[in-house]
Amino acid sequence: MSMRKMIAEKVLWETLKRWKKLSPELGRIQFLKTVPIFNELSTWQLKKVGGIVFERTYDVGELIFEEGQPGAALFLIIEGQVSVEILKEKFTAKLAVLEKGAFFGEMALLDESPRSASARVMEPTRTLALYRNDLHRLIQTDPETACQIYKALARIVGDRLRSTNDMVQAEGPAEKIAA
Amino acid sequence: MSRNADFERKELERKFRRQVFHSVFITLTLILSGLLFWKLRSLLLPIMVGALLAYLFRPLKDRFQIPWLHHELRVLTLFAFIGLIIFVGISSLRKQMPNERQKLELQVRLKYKLNEKFQQVVGSKDGSNPVGKMIAKEAGPMMDQINHLLDLTPYEVDLFKRYREGHNGEPPINDRYFDYFQANQTTSDYTAMSRDTAAVGSHAKDEALGGEPKTKKASLMEGLSIWMLCPIIFIFLGFDNGQMRRYFIGLVPNRYFELALTVVDELDDAIGAYLRGTLLECALVGLTLAIGFVLIGIPLSVAIAIGVISGLVNAIPFLGTVIGMVIGLGYALIAESVVPILPGLNANDLAIYVVILVVLAHVLDNVLFQPFVLGSAVNLHPLVVVVAIISGSLLMGVWGMLFAIPSVVVVNTAVQTLFKELKAYRII
Repeated sequence: MSMRKMIAEKVLWETLKRWKKLSPELGRIQFLKTVPIFNELSTWQLKKVGGIVFERTYDVGELIFEEGQPGAALFLIIEGQVSVEILKEKFTAKLAVLEKGAFFGEMALLDESPRSASARVMEPTRTLALYRNDLHRLIQTDPETACQIYKALARIVGDRLRSTNDMVQAEGPAEKIAA
Repeated sequence: MSRNADFERKELERKFRRQVFHSVFITLTLILSGLLFWKLRSLLLPIMVGALLAYLFRPLKDRFQIPWLHHELRVLTLFAFIGLIIFVGISSLRKQMPNERQKLELQVRLKYKLNEKFQQVVGSKDGSNPVGKMIAKEAGPMMDQINHLLDLTPYEVDLFKRYREGHNGEPPINDRYFDYFQANQTTSDYTAMSRDTAAVGSHAKDEALGGEPKTKKASLMEGLSIWMLCPIIFIFLGFDNGQMRRYFIGLVPNRYFELALTVVDELDDAIGAYLRGTLLECALVGLTLAIGFVLIGIPLSVAIAIGVISGLVNAIPFLGTVIGMVIGLGYALIAESVVPILPGLNANDLAIYVVILVVLAHVLDNVLFQPFVLGSAVNLHPLVVVVAIISGSLLMGVWGMLFAIPSVVVVNTAVQTLFKELKAYRII
């Protein structure tokens, strides 16, 4: 990072701290910095991302999204607990329980395919939602930030694919899967 | 178990209260909005125009990025730049606009030339030409009305005579126009319309023009103050950096959050593409006409003025072309000493060239401009278009006609998108 950028960031942090010590904007930027998709972004860039995300609050039992619905946004958990589940023939299988700092629904940022699972709130939850088209628009207004987000997203999706492959390979030989 | 039942009962009660609250809130909001809408209907048009301009300029604002400049300052810089361009444009146009003397000349010329052409069509007054007699009978009353409209008031007659002598440092009015002026004084009625009625009409016109200048001035000032809202709305909507969208999306229940985002976005894309496409289409039609008029020999300033007006009214389907043609023909009737740039054109056939040019511009618009800039964004049934334009004109006059089709397109796109997404999200 260049000297000029570092100074500019420092000035921004100081201003933000002085201006709004407990402001939601500052809290949002600090939170975004902890999320893997955004942790390589500078404060200026996080401020920009913070300006395009939507904050939503959910009650226990509420569905954030449903399996089969078109996906439009990525969700980041600021606080609370969310269960990711899929509907089997007669029961609901819980795939994962996500907590503060986790994110889900990232495939919606890449395409318009239907949601592969549902997300149900287990504890009162606050989330930040990043809408696909807002990220697309960021390509035009701030290509550097948009590219960094997509790069991080590609890395995360790749990691998840790799770990899924490992899991499948650990379960049995390849022929069995093909059969 | 009993705790669970108690919790469920409380939740049900809460749900009921929520539904009642929402119903009351929505009803009150609708009633208040309707009341405000009705009471402030005179402000509606400037607000709509300001909002429309802000909406049209939004892509430009989004693309105008200076990282080190604060958002508000960036928007102000951009708007100052746009304002400067508009100011320069209007100043140049105003220089081309006729002054008081030229307006009087134009009025006199128009009346004389119209009557001259009409008499040429009707033929001799003895009634030997039956077709001419029929035209005189049918179109006579209309011509009389036009003549009464073009009549100079006593004040204007006096002013014309003073300009004839060289009033206000202006050069004296041309002899030929003075001859026209004198000929206009003896223009007779084409129908048996009584002189009394004409006198009453003329008197009423005098009163309206000269009798109550204060009322006219006051209403002009009122109109100007209302229109001051337009740039204010334009600038403040320009400052909006997505806060309004965020606020309204924030009101949407969680269940419909993604649906609302998608619908708003698709609607924004479709309407934005249509409105910007229409603006570009109108500009292309206006430019085609202006270039065409220059080529057939109409002076540049007049060609630009007709091009701008015809381009604007082109937003009104069907009628736009007719208005463009009427303005062009109107000028062709009073035009004198026209020298066409295109070789082989006869200056006496200017009206025919105007008709050909407007038809050509209309064909170009339908075959090239519309498919190129609008695509299939609007596929409205012609009947819907006609009904919308008539309704618009009844509700808000010329502005209503101008906004009729965009309004229908907005509602049509909103309904279509909403239903499509409601189905996609399996809500209906």
